[in-house]
Amino acid sequence: MAAGKGDLTDPKPAKAIEAEAIERAKQGDEAAFETLYNLHKRRVYSLCLRMVSNPAQAEDLAQEAFLQLFRKIGTFRGESAFSTWLHRMTVNVVLMTLRRKGLPLVSLEETLETDEVTPRKELGAPDLKLTGSIDRLELKRAIEKLPPGYKTVFVLHDVEGFEHNEIAEMVGCSIGNSKSQLHKARLKLRDALKFMRAAKAENT
Amino acid sequence: MNCADVQQVLPEIIDGSSSGDSDAEYQAHLKLCPMCSELVSDLELIASEARQLSETDDPAPRVWVKIAAELRAEGIIRELEAAPGRPVLVPGVRRRWNAWWLVPVAAALVAAGSYVIKPKPAVPVASQNPPAAVINAEKVPAPSTVASAKPSKQIAPVRAVDETRQSAPADRAPMQVVGTADQQLLDGVPPELRSEYQSQLNAVNSYIRDAEAYLKQNPDDEDARQHLMEANQQREMLYRMALDHVQ
Repeated sequence: MAAGKGDLTDPKPAKAIEAEAIERAKQGDEAAFETLYNLHKRRVYSLCLRMVSNPAQAEDLAQEAFLQLFRKIGTFRGESAFSTWLHRMTVNVVLMTLRRKGLPLVSLEETLETDEVTPRKELGAPDLKLTGSIDRLELKRAIEKLPPGYKTVFVLHDVEGFEHNEIAEMVGCSIGNSKSQLHKARLKLRDALKFMRAAKAENT
Repeated sequence: MNCADVQQVLPEIIDGSSSGDSDAEYQAHLKLCPMCSELVSDLELIASEARQLSETDDPAPRVWVKIAAELRAEGIIRELEAAPGRPVLVPGVRRRWNAWWLVPVAAALVAAGSYVIKPKPAVPVASQNPPAAVINAEKVPAPSTVASAKPSKQIAPVRAVDETRQSAPADRAPMQVVGTADQQLLDGVPPELRSEYQSQLNAVNSYIRDAEAYLKQNPDDEDARQHLMEANQQREMLYRMALDHVQ
């Protein structure tokens, strides 16, 4: 496949391919749009999927994010990384959709429940430590089950690598709130993963 | 520092945003408390594993198909505009270079036509299946020529298109696009389908004219040649479909 069709095995560095594709896309070149799509589709779709936990909806959101980006590609001047621009746009598309659906971007639970945060050893529960390994599929499932508010901050911070100040700006909360939500999300995930591990141990 | 104190500082410390005395006390507590130590290790592991999920899922191929279709529909994708001098720079005309849209339109015509049950005409095979290379864009005849065209059950061979073209005046009537052969064809199709066929013939003829004019100046452009060939095939298909309705 030609480089213009998004062949990532091309010896040209990905950045050079991307820069060339951006310029050609500005001229309306379909192959260039396809190249840009192929370079970023996984990241964009994965972000959408983590945030909404619904493949069909994630596809719609990824489609909308790319369309918004491609419509504005003529204005891209390269001051920031193209990927940063695209991922910011994707997050905005997802958050806008969540807002429209009335889902909370930040969890309304403001106080940590004591039994959630105190290290504890449940009586009769198997001593199943996470340390050392986490099954990726189980982690995906656990994230899916997080309440929407926790999920938003966790995905943006731990999966996508946004800083707390960026998250606070995007979702409209304080930096402290973002940190607190993230901590609660991680605790909930830890409990969920331990529960899954215990259930698995019981079945074997 | 005890376990409860660790819970208070953990959100700050675990992301490396705290330092100094609290950090030192916290580290000292972790060395002494296996439960807190395990908690911190688990949370750090979750954070690091989560980072691996940023590019794990591929969207279905239909996502790109939809995006590309939308970009074409909005005129954002312009396949043949790279070379200067291409006659497709006017918005709205651009999309005619992508002949892909003619196929669904033709399909719609088939669907619409299926409601009108007509016997097939007794048309010579040669005129029903003209070679694509022979069918070509027409120069538009003068209005008087079109007006004098009489309805006929027997459609003139499409080869007549070329004859019309050779004898047609260079000037085009501003609103009239179809030529004599087209007009004869249209006169034979049911009235309820005529305007749709006329519209499609106008579009494909106009497309072909643009492509031919462009190819005169850029004879080596293989993409344009391919598009011209496809447009001629579309025109041939329109003729075949229309002939099925001719009484």
